[in-house]
Amino acid sequence: MKILVTLDTKEYSQKIIKDVARLANNTLADIVLLAVQEQSREVSRELTAALLKYRQDLYSYFAPEELPYGDNGEDRWEQQGKGDWTLTARGMKQCVLRIRAGSSVSRLAVTTAREMECDLVVLGCSGEAGCEWDGEMNVPLRIAEDSSCPVLIIKNRTRVNQIVSILDQSVVSQEALEMVNQLVTVHGAGLKIIGVCKSKESDRDRLEQRMVELLRYYNDRSIDAWVKLIDTDDVREYVTRWSQEGIVALWMGGKQSLIRKLFGRSMIDRLLESTRSSLLILR
Amino acid sequence: MLKTLLYINEDLASSIALRYTAYLNKFIPLSLHVTHVEEPEDDEQVGTGWVRRTWEDGVTSSGKQLIDRMLRTEKIDCLLAGRPKVFVGYRDTEIIYELRSGNYDLFIEGYLNSPDQDRFYDLIRSPLYTNMPCPVLVTKNLSISTRCALLCADSVDAEQLVRGSMRILGESRFTFDLVYFKFKDSEQLQTLDREEGGTNLQNTLSLMEEEGHAPEQVSVLLGAPEQVCDHLKGYALVSSTMPTRKSMRMSVLANSLASVLLVR
Repeated sequence: MKILVTLDTKEYSQKIIKDVARLANNTLADIVLLAVQEQSREVSRELTAALLKYRQDLYSYFAPEELPYGDNGEDRWEQQGKGDWTLTARGMKQCVLRIRAGSSVSRLAVTTAREMECDLVVLGCSGEAGCEWDGEMNVPLRIAEDSSCPVLIIKNRTRVNQIVSILDQSVVSQEALEMVNQLVTVHGAGLKIIGVCKSKESDRDRLEQRMVELLRYYNDRSIDAWVKLIDTDDVREYVTRWSQEGIVALWMGGKQSLIRKLFGRSMIDRLLESTRSSLLILR
Repeated sequence: MLKTLLYINEDLASSIALRYTAYLNKFIPLSLHVTHVEEPEDDEQVGTGWVRRTWEDGVTSSGKQLIDRMLRTEKIDCLLAGRPKVFVGYRDTEIIYELRSGNYDLFIEGYLNSPDQDRFYDLIRSPLYTNMPCPVLVTKNLSISTRCALLCADSVDAEQLVRGSMRILGESRFTFDLVYFKFKDSEQLQTLDREEGGTNLQNTLSLMEEEGHAPEQVSVLLGAPEQVCDHLKGYALVSSTMPTRKSMRMSVLANSLASVLLVR
């Protein structure tokens, strides 16, 4: 697994490092810490210092003998191209620090995730005005919408006791199942599997089949999971309510996905605003 | 052993019911019988005599294959007491007949939770439930817990609740809590002092002690049904008397994520 963590120098980025460390510890993931600067002439000292500090913080959550990532003797940034610098530490797993130059954090985060074939993008956000980054509007929302891999947006490091996963009849990937599993483990939370369907019989049968698969997967891993079916008319209100009490995981399927149709841009924005903890967009 | 009839269909609710029953068997030894009813379509021309028998044999055979598929897929660790029973006809009628003629102690079937409480109300008002000759366990989720809750309220007959529950659960390895529900539309669930439960709570408590199952925990909860449901989800099952009308307690049972044992 490879996790891309999109960071800046603000407090909301600092506070997600612990959750990233726990995820990385459980999954033995490769990590990419990404920051974006505006000018492309030379690498920003502020950002290099920040990323090195984040890496140090990340490592501090591992016992020294269990740290899967290497530690460079000298921290020498390599220039990959114009406005693109990396610093790679190779151990059993890779930890890459990367700084890219550009005007849009969200676009570069999405591009980097795709180029580096990441399985998950993680970022924090400020809870002061919805869920925002300083200096650029709608970073979490744009990344959530445009990323081709799952996105975890950590708004507050509140301990939750519920992960509410919302799905429809679309096929569910193994990676997505595992990601929810990790969230449940990291938070020690219970899991609710909420199936969304219209009243059409054929959709309901397929949806129930998906829910059976999920239930078996989680029960086999001794994870308590509670199931419920809701109608498309009730889902928005249900999800908004639960976003205030737990972590919502939305399974966005393909083009035919009901969830994808129900949770457009404005709905994701609303969820980001209302969530008190985190939001996970699964693909 | 409790002679138990488990109804299964090829759906998620039955998948959960099968797993739940296997789990329950670890706490209450069950003599488990499985059944399924094939309901003919209204417009099916079934004829008479050997034609009808041939048709019924075909339908019964497909019902048996359904049960086999479910049992094979779920791989439950629970022996069946006899061959699965497949009937052809109206579901409620066939099940009631089997329950009565087979002298069963418990009926189990799955139910998928939804926000539509009317569905649950329709279920408990169905001919099957209104004529049920034994307690019914409505399985909703597989809660891995060793605790059961007896759900009481002002409208609940304490004697019926305790005696009925203990007939099923008395010999089990579950521990028991007593939850007394009082409705109030408030933002947060409140826990009140035991005295707030009044004489009905006291009676229930005394009866449980008489049965040799004093509750480990007694809670008087004041709040909305959804809040109480959240509190109850950690139990393996919630036992209560069968509601006879729409009420806040019925809402709790309808929305409960834990499986519900209905006694009368």
